[in-house]
Amino acid sequence: MNALAHGASYGALIILTLLTTVAMGVWFERKFAGRMQSRLGPTMVGPVGLLQSVADVVKLLNKEDIIPRDADRGLFTLAPVLAALLSLGAAAVVPFSSTVVAADLDIGVIWVVALGGLTVIATFAAGWSSNNKFALLGAMRGIAQSVSYGVPLVLSVLVPVILAGTMSLSGIVAWQTRHHWFALWPVIPGLPALGLFFLAMLAESNRIPFDIPEAESELVAGVTTEYTGAKFVLFYMAEYVHTLVGSAVASVLFLGGWDGPIAPGLHWMVAKTLALFVAVYWVRWSLLRYRSDQLMALCWRRLTPLGVGLVLLASAWALFAPGGPA
Amino acid sequence: MEGTFFMVLAACALVPAWLAVRGANLIHAALWLGASLLATAAVYAMLGASFLAGVQVLVYVGGVITLMIFGVMMTRRHEGLVALAESRHQGRAAAIAVTLFAVIAQAINATDGLDAPLSAPVSANGSALGRALVVDHVLAFEALSLLLLAAIVGAVVIARRRDPPDAREAEVPS
Repeated sequence: MNALAHGASYGALIILTLLTTVAMGVWFERKFAGRMQSRLGPTMVGPVGLLQSVADVVKLLNKEDIIPRDADRGLFTLAPVLAALLSLGAAAVVPFSSTVVAADLDIGVIWVVALGGLTVIATFAAGWSSNNKFALLGAMRGIAQSVSYGVPLVLSVLVPVILAGTMSLSGIVAWQTRHHWFALWPVIPGLPALGLFFLAMLAESNRIPFDIPEAESELVAGVTTEYTGAKFVLFYMAEYVHTLVGSAVASVLFLGGWDGPIAPGLHWMVAKTLALFVAVYWVRWSLLRYRSDQLMALCWRRLTPLGVGLVLLASAWALFAPGGPA
Repeated sequence: MEGTFFMVLAACALVPAWLAVRGANLIHAALWLGASLLATAAVYAMLGASFLAGVQVLVYVGGVITLMIFGVMMTRRHEGLVALAESRHQGRAAAIAVTLFAVIAQAINATDGLDAPLSAPVSANGSALGRALVVDHVLAFEALSLLLLAAIVGAVVIARRRDPPDAREAEVPS
């Protein structure tokens, strides 16, 4: 019962923090994008536009909730809830410090990958139930993309799992605390694996340059075409939470998680996560969208062979030099 | 406490399973099957087999259900939302299901020590699991791989385009 209370209280705390961070993240992204394009971004609501996200959410929640007449009503309503639930659920096993973790599972890595894989079902449910050609096209692209990029994602995650010899996220951080961060010391294969994970994460959370399921210039708004008001907010939020949790998982797997000198562990974890989060938006506002076939070619011809090579290299490393040369 | 949990989970697995089999809407059936498999994963987790539970979600709910959905989307003409499930083999399917149930029930009955309380949680230890798979039970493991390979080849053969090559060229407007 104690574990249950612990999980519930920390879970609530982590969810609240994530949602606040997402609201601030949206504000930051708009400011950041503005500066990159020689404009100011939001300035009117609150000091330096800080309350812009609050105003946006209030506006969106006040909009009419439209369900198309020929939509599959049950699925149409279920899809955004499922998307939000899955993206938040992945955060349950992420250790933000040695004590701040909702549920420290011994299969934390599998939990994260499995929930990430399930978001496909939410995408599909949204696209199919909308009964809209654009939404369905978006959903088909989304599924093809997620299924393909799941392969390099799992391969990149396998590298720290093999090197540390555990599937528990806090176990992987503990190993890195004892030896070295995977991205720093065994540069091969750690650093390329981080790059691979980052790319696959961009594709799984539908971020530019891989935002093909949405592709607003060709598919209206892809799977979210028919969604309005609160349901759209859930999708939007789920996408940001997905990116944020993905950044946190990358910090845990490759950048040593809460490990770091001087400052408390939680600060390090937050700093690493936010750095990766910002990198996602840096990429987003710098690059153009890939074409669908280019995306698939990149995944199967380049990233997947690279991932297999990295896993082999990591296995050899774990076999012949466990703990590294240190 | 545990008994109640188990009953709830079992209901969560059985009701969607029934809906998946009896429903006429193919897409709903696939999603109900996903719900049923998810509840099965929860039962595994309850029994202490956390690795098995995770893999069940990863492979079955994430992978197989996605494949099924993709199959429906690629092979059916979707006029509107409803892809209807129709089968001429319901009698045969029922016979196979009942036989399979009997075999599994018999196997469970024949196993000793089921009354003993679950002492230690089933190990999620990677090395023990790996040893069991590719050392102790390597024959069954390889046989399964072969079976899956045969299934993939079979699926390719069934799905292969049957019309002659010039029919394909005729589709391209000149």
